[in-house]
Amino acid sequence: MKNSLRLMRTERGWSQAALAEKLGVSRQSVNAIETGKYDPSLPLAFAIARLFEKPIEEIFEDESAQQLAAE
Amino acid sequence: MRRQGFQSAERRYKRVAYPLIAVYALLCLGGTALWAFFDVDVKLASAGLAIVICIPVIALLVAKLRQFEETDEYTRLRRLRAFARAAVVTLSAVFIVGFLELFDVIDDVPLVLFGSLFFLAYGITACLQRWPGKTV
Repeated sequence: MKNSLRLMRTERGWSQAALAEKLGVSRQSVNAIETGKYDPSLPLAFAIARLFEKPIEEIFEDESAQQLAAE
Repeated sequence: MRRQGFQSAERRYKRVAYPLIAVYALLCLGGTALWAFFDVDVKLASAGLAIVICIPVIALLVAKLRQFEETDEYTRLRRLRAFARAAVVTLSAVFIVGFLELFDVIDDVPLVLFGSLFFLAYGITACLQRWPGKTV
Protein backbone atom coordinates (compact mmCIF):
# COMPACT_ATOMS: atom_id res chain seq x y z
CA MET A 1 0.00 0.00 0.00
CA LYS A 2 1.41 3.36 -1.06
CA ASN A 3 1.05 6.39 1.20
CA SER A 4 1.89 10.07 1.32
CA LEU A 5 2.90 10.11 4.98
CA ARG A 6 6.49 11.23 4.38
CA LEU A 7 5.35 14.10 2.16
CA MET A 8 2.73 15.29 4.64
CA ARG A 9 5.15 14.99 7.53
CA THR A 10 7.92 16.97 5.83
CA GLU A 11 5.40 19.62 4.73
CA ARG A 12 4.71 20.25 8.39
CA GLY A 13 8.41 20.18 9.24
CA TRP A 14 8.05 17.27 11.62
CA SER A 15 10.75 14.69 12.17
CA GLN A 16 9.90 10.98 12.22
CA ALA A 17 10.47 11.02 15.98
CA ALA A 18 8.09 13.97 16.44
CA LEU A 19 5.37 12.28 14.40
CA ALA A 20 5.94 9.03 16.28
CA GLU A 21 5.46 10.80 19.59
CA LYS A 22 2.22 12.43 18.41
CA LEU A 23 0.90 9.02 17.31
CA GLY A 24 2.21 7.13 20.36
CA VAL A 25 4.28 4.76 18.26
CA SER A 26 8.00 4.14 17.78
CA ARG A 27 10.09 6.08 15.24
CA GLN A 28 10.75 2.72 13.55
CA SER A 29 6.99 2.32 13.05
CA VAL A 30 6.75 5.67 11.25
CA ASN A 31 9.75 4.77 9.11
CA ALA A 32 8.29 1.34 8.26
CA ILE A 33 4.97 2.90 7.22
CA GLU A 34 6.65 5.62 5.15
CA THR A 35 8.86 3.14 3.30
CA GLY A 36 5.94 0.78 2.67
CA LYS A 37 7.41 -2.02 4.80
CA TYR A 38 4.43 -2.03 7.11
CA ASP A 39 0.75 -1.32 6.55
CA PRO A 40 -0.83 0.19 9.68
CA SER A 41 -3.94 -1.21 11.31
CA LEU A 42 -7.24 0.65 10.87
CA PRO A 43 -7.06 2.38 14.29
CA LEU A 44 -3.54 3.68 13.51
CA ALA A 45 -4.55 4.69 9.98
CA PHE A 46 -7.50 6.63 11.44
CA ALA A 47 -5.20 8.25 14.01
CA ILE A 48 -2.90 9.38 11.19
CA ALA A 49 -5.86 10.69 9.22
CA ARG A 50 -7.15 12.61 12.26
CA LEU A 51 -3.71 14.10 12.94
CA PHE A 52 -3.32 15.36 9.37
CA GLU A 53 -7.03 16.24 9.08
CA LYS A 54 -7.42 14.31 5.85
CA PRO A 55 -9.54 11.32 4.81
CA ILE A 56 -7.74 7.97 4.95
CA GLU A 57 -8.01 7.38 1.20
CA GLU A 58 -6.17 10.61 0.60
CA ILE A 59 -3.22 9.35 2.63
CA PHE A 60 -3.21 5.65 1.73
CA GLU A 61 -3.54 4.32 -1.80
CA ASP A 62 -4.84 0.80 -2.28
CA GLU A 63 -2.68 -0.41 -5.17
CA SER A 64 -4.51 -3.72 -5.58
CA ALA A 65 -7.85 -1.89 -5.96
CA GLN A 66 -6.29 0.34 -8.61
CA GLN A 67 -4.95 -2.71 -10.47
CA LEU A 68 -8.40 -4.33 -10.37
CA ALA A 69 -10.00 -1.14 -11.66
CA ALA A 70 -7.45 -0.97 -14.50
CA GLU A 71 -8.26 -4.55 -15.53
CA MET B 1 -4.74 -4.43 29.17
CA ARG B 2 -4.79 -0.78 28.13
CA ARG B 3 -2.64 0.14 25.14
CA GLN B 4 -0.31 2.89 26.33
CA GLY B 5 1.73 3.65 23.25
CA PHE B 6 5.38 3.01 22.59
CA GLN B 7 7.02 5.66 24.75
CA SER B 8 5.12 5.01 27.97
CA ALA B 9 5.33 1.22 27.50
CA GLU B 10 9.11 1.48 27.08
CA ARG B 11 9.47 3.72 30.14
CA ARG B 12 7.34 1.40 32.24
CA TYR B 13 9.29 -1.66 31.10
CA LYS B 14 12.71 -0.09 31.73
CA ARG B 15 11.66 1.08 35.18
CA VAL B 16 10.99 -2.54 36.10
CA ALA B 17 13.48 -4.43 33.92
CA TYR B 18 16.75 -2.68 34.80
CA PRO B 19 16.42 -3.16 38.58
CA LEU B 20 15.32 -6.78 38.00
CA ILE B 21 18.40 -7.49 35.88
CA ALA B 22 20.63 -5.93 38.56
CA VAL B 23 18.92 -7.95 41.30
CA TYR B 24 19.28 -11.13 39.24
CA ALA B 25 23.00 -10.51 38.70
CA LEU B 26 23.51 -9.86 42.41
CA LEU B 27 21.51 -12.93 43.39
CA CYS B 28 23.41 -15.10 40.91
CA LEU B 29 26.78 -13.96 42.22
CA GLY B 30 25.73 -13.83 45.86
CA GLY B 31 23.76 -17.05 45.74
CA THR B 32 26.52 -19.00 44.04
CA ALA B 33 29.11 -17.63 46.47
CA LEU B 34 26.86 -18.45 49.42
CA TRP B 35 26.24 -21.94 48.09
CA ALA B 36 29.96 -22.59 47.55
CA PHE B 37 31.27 -20.83 50.66
CA PHE B 38 28.90 -22.36 53.16
CA ASP B 39 28.75 -25.67 51.31
CA VAL B 40 24.96 -25.79 51.62
CA ASP B 41 23.99 -29.43 51.74
CA VAL B 42 20.49 -28.99 53.12
CA LYS B 43 18.08 -29.69 50.26
CA LEU B 44 15.50 -27.20 51.47
CA ALA B 45 18.04 -24.37 51.72
CA SER B 46 19.39 -25.14 48.24
CA ALA B 47 15.86 -25.24 46.82
CA GLY B 48 15.02 -21.93 48.48
CA LEU B 49 18.17 -20.32 47.11
CA ALA B 50 17.46 -21.63 43.61
CA ILE B 51 13.88 -20.34 43.64
CA VAL B 52 14.89 -16.92 44.99
CA ILE B 53 17.41 -16.54 42.15
CA CYS B 54 14.67 -17.37 39.61
CA ILE B 55 12.15 -14.82 40.89
CA PRO B 56 13.67 -11.79 39.04
CA VAL B 57 13.78 -13.79 35.78
CA ILE B 58 10.12 -14.74 36.09
CA ALA B 59 9.25 -11.13 36.95
CA LEU B 60 11.24 -9.96 33.92
CA LEU B 61 9.29 -12.32 31.64
CA VAL B 62 6.01 -11.00 33.06
CA ALA B 63 7.23 -7.43 32.47
CA LYS B 64 8.12 -8.41 28.91
CA LEU B 65 4.61 -9.76 28.33
CA ARG B 66 3.15 -6.51 29.67
CA GLN B 67 5.45 -4.54 27.38
CA PHE B 68 4.21 -6.57 24.38
CA GLU B 69 0.62 -5.78 25.29
CA GLU B 70 1.18 -2.08 25.94
CA THR B 71 3.51 -1.08 23.12
CA ASP B 72 2.53 -0.01 19.59
CA GLU B 73 1.43 -2.53 16.97
CA TYR B 74 4.57 -2.54 14.80
CA THR B 75 6.94 -2.93 17.77
CA ARG B 76 4.69 -5.67 19.16
CA LEU B 77 4.79 -7.51 15.86
CA ARG B 78 8.58 -7.31 15.61
CA ARG B 79 9.21 -8.34 19.19
CA LEU B 80 6.70 -11.18 19.22
CA ARG B 81 8.23 -12.45 16.00
CA ALA B 82 11.68 -12.38 17.60
CA PHE B 83 10.25 -14.10 20.69
CA ALA B 84 8.69 -16.84 18.54
CA ARG B 85 11.95 -17.38 16.62
CA ALA B 86 13.89 -17.55 19.88
CA ALA B 87 11.38 -20.15 21.13
CA VAL B 88 11.94 -22.21 17.96
CA VAL B 89 15.73 -22.07 18.41
CA THR B 90 15.54 -22.95 22.11
CA LEU B 91 13.01 -25.76 21.74
CA SER B 92 14.99 -27.25 18.86
CA ALA B 93 18.10 -27.21 21.07
CA VAL B 94 16.12 -28.76 23.95
CA PHE B 95 14.95 -31.65 21.78
CA ILE B 96 18.32 -32.26 20.12
CA VAL B 97 20.29 -32.13 23.37
CA GLY B 98 17.56 -34.05 25.19
CA PHE B 99 17.67 -36.99 22.80
CA LEU B 100 21.47 -36.92 22.63
CA GLU B 101 21.45 -37.26 26.42
CA LEU B 102 18.80 -39.94 26.33
CA PHE B 103 20.85 -42.05 23.92
CA ASP B 104 24.01 -41.52 26.02
CA VAL B 105 25.80 -39.64 23.27
CA ILE B 106 26.59 -36.69 25.53
CA ASP B 107 26.76 -36.07 29.28
CA ASP B 108 24.15 -34.11 31.21
CA VAL B 109 23.79 -30.49 30.07
CA PRO B 110 22.61 -28.05 32.76
CA LEU B 111 19.01 -27.13 31.96
CA VAL B 112 19.54 -23.53 33.07
CA LEU B 113 21.74 -22.94 29.99
CA PHE B 114 18.65 -23.17 27.76
CA GLY B 115 17.21 -20.14 29.53
CA SER B 116 20.30 -18.17 28.62
CA LEU B 117 20.12 -19.58 25.09
CA PHE B 118 16.53 -18.30 24.78
CA PHE B 119 17.47 -14.75 25.78
CA LEU B 120 20.52 -14.84 23.51
CA ALA B 121 18.42 -16.07 20.58
CA TYR B 122 15.79 -13.41 21.32
CA GLY B 123 18.42 -10.67 21.29
CA ILE B 124 19.98 -11.88 18.04
CA THR B 125 16.68 -12.41 16.19
CA ALA B 126 15.43 -9.02 17.38
CA CYS B 127 18.53 -7.41 15.86
CA LEU B 128 18.31 -9.41 12.62
CA GLN B 129 14.82 -8.19 11.76
CA ARG B 130 15.89 -5.37 9.55
CA TRP B 131 15.55 -7.52 6.45
CA PRO B 132 14.78 -5.66 3.28
CA GLY B 133 11.21 -5.84 2.04
CA LYS B 134 7.78 -5.76 3.50
CA THR B 135 7.23 -6.57 7.16
CA VAL B 136 3.48 -7.12 6.92
